[in-house]
Amino acid sequence: MYDEIVAVTENRPLTGGHFLLSVRSPRQAPAIRPGQFAMIRILGRSDVLLRRPMSVYDIKAGQEGRQKRASNSPEIIQFLYKVVGRGTRLMSELKPGDRVGLLAPLGHGFFEEEYLPRAHEADEILHVAGGIGIAALLLPAKRLKEAGFHQRLFFGGRTKDDLVGVADFRPLIRAMLLATENGSMGYRGFVTRPLEDYLRKHTEKRFLLMVCGPWGMLEASVALARRFGHPCLVSMENRMGCGLGVCLGCCIRVEGTGHEAYQRVCTEGPVFWADKVIWQKEGIPKTK
Amino acid sequence: MTTKAKSEERPAHATKFEPKIETELAGVRFQNPVLTASGTFGYGKEFAHLMDLNKLGGIVVKGISAEPMEGNPPPRIYETDSGMLNAIGLQNVGAKRFLKEKLPFLRTLRARCVVNVFGYSTEDYVRCLETLNAGEGIAAYELNISCPNTRCGGMVYGNDPKLTEEVVAAAKKAARFPLFVKLSPNVTDIALMARVAEAAGADGLTLVNTFVGMAIDIETRTPRLSNVTGGLSGPAIKPVALRMVYQAARAVKIPIIGIGGIQSTEDALEFLIAGARAVEIGTANFYDPGTSLRIVEGVRKYCQRKQLHLSDLIGSLRLPEGTASHPTEY
Repeated sequence: MYDEIVAVTENRPLTGGHFLLSVRSPRQAPAIRPGQFAMIRILGRSDVLLRRPMSVYDIKAGQEGRQKRASNSPEIIQFLYKVVGRGTRLMSELKPGDRVGLLAPLGHGFFEEEYLPRAHEADEILHVAGGIGIAALLLPAKRLKEAGFHQRLFFGGRTKDDLVGVADFRPLIRAMLLATENGSMGYRGFVTRPLEDYLRKHTEKRFLLMVCGPWGMLEASVALARRFGHPCLVSMENRMGCGLGVCLGCCIRVEGTGHEAYQRVCTEGPVFWADKVIWQKEGIPKTK
Repeated sequence: MTTKAKSEERPAHATKFEPKIETELAGVRFQNPVLTASGTFGYGKEFAHLMDLNKLGGIVVKGISAEPMEGNPPPRIYETDSGMLNAIGLQNVGAKRFLKEKLPFLRTLRARCVVNVFGYSTEDYVRCLETLNAGEGIAAYELNISCPNTRCGGMVYGNDPKLTEEVVAAAKKAARFPLFVKLSPNVTDIALMARVAEAAGADGLTLVNTFVGMAIDIETRTPRLSNVTGGLSGPAIKPVALRMVYQAARAVKIPIIGIGGIQSTEDALEFLIAGARAVEIGTANFYDPGTSLRIVEGVRKYCQRKQLHLSDLIGSLRLPEGTASHPTEY
């Protein structure tokens, strides 16, 4: 883990308020494993203090055409994000050459030493993404492709503009199923409907699910995995204070008691086995 | 003011002036006046690969209770302008596991280990201290009577002079190491609370803890925190914290550790000049872990430039003539 100031190399606008941010860090890029994240700090703002947790979307070699070191060791870290609040709006204003604080790699990601036994038992790996949750799944899909696994992507968003990054997944997977809530692309409705249809149609097959998205979508996907008896890994999101495991601000309820009743999304997570997480939400009252 | 300041500084020809920046609080020596605040630095080890922990003055560990605590349901934090709200609820491993699993590492450091202690009742505080007394390598205790995020105990003690007196007296009797008392800013008269803690036997004071605050999601019309209210920290609270340290420093003789929104050398120097004998860095650890060590170096450089030892700097605030001797009277 390193804490450094790095340069933005690109901040490309995509559809629907999404951006692809690239930063250069020859030190951090090679150390990143699938499913891990970084804490990004907007510099020079006294009103926006906290860093923002961002899944690492992709890692790339240094810019071509430049006379660089002979090795093609990765140097560029990419973050796919959507403008949802003040922090991400400030991120969207970053230009090439601007500097940001980068603390990475962080968290317990999709680590193959933990899921490989389950992946080998499965006929196919099913990636399930809701909205910007797609950002956590590209690196694991790449790793699984290298290892020769069959993969399928279920990807849902509110509109077609939310379905970003689809082209990056295409060479890695057998097939993808898209869904939008307004029907502007693919299946009309939540992505969990085509997922359910698929699981029901193939009850004889074994799957491993890797899921990332908003809470409701995670909950529904996990319920399906449980109903059809498939192991399921989830990548969780939460507000974070530090990303280092000390503020305890990002904790979620898990199986356990006492001080083990809550685990940190930033340290024990963001990737958990779905059956470890307690999905019933507490605290905030339900709205009508 | 400038000429006056210069006359007090050591002559410029004393080249290579090496300022002494170590500080002593209640008989405990710290190699410099910069400590990391409870709840913002874990048990130290979490930052070991980001900095040289041996260069810190001290580490105040996450609040420890007699038994492990679960903490509050999420959401637990929310960012506000120049600050953040938290309602963690003191999730911790408990005193026994702290001694077994966390203290052995802290003991190896040159930074002194201060253990923040929390309880729901006076008996709880005493029981926790009695367990921790067995720990080797604890430099001092910091009694947390000011956490705003637990239903009983915590701030209930810190807001009531009688309860403060009761818990501090009981804790002082039980404590094997010097006892600092961390005061709540959510009181009308901080000088009064400081004097009560001093009279009850506190060896030092830490102030301030967080201010009770709140934020609301206007779309769902629900509180941003599951606990409804939370403690506000960060640069937003610094001027108020500084004023309280100034007031307390004039009200008591025991040493004071200043805390509240410190994120730069200049911030730390203000607290030291106001009368704090050390400072704690809190929220800044979250967004800029290098802050504490930068401040250590910054304080050293400032003292060098001013040709002052730290002890000359502490409480050296120059007030306009005729300033009320009781700073609580505006």
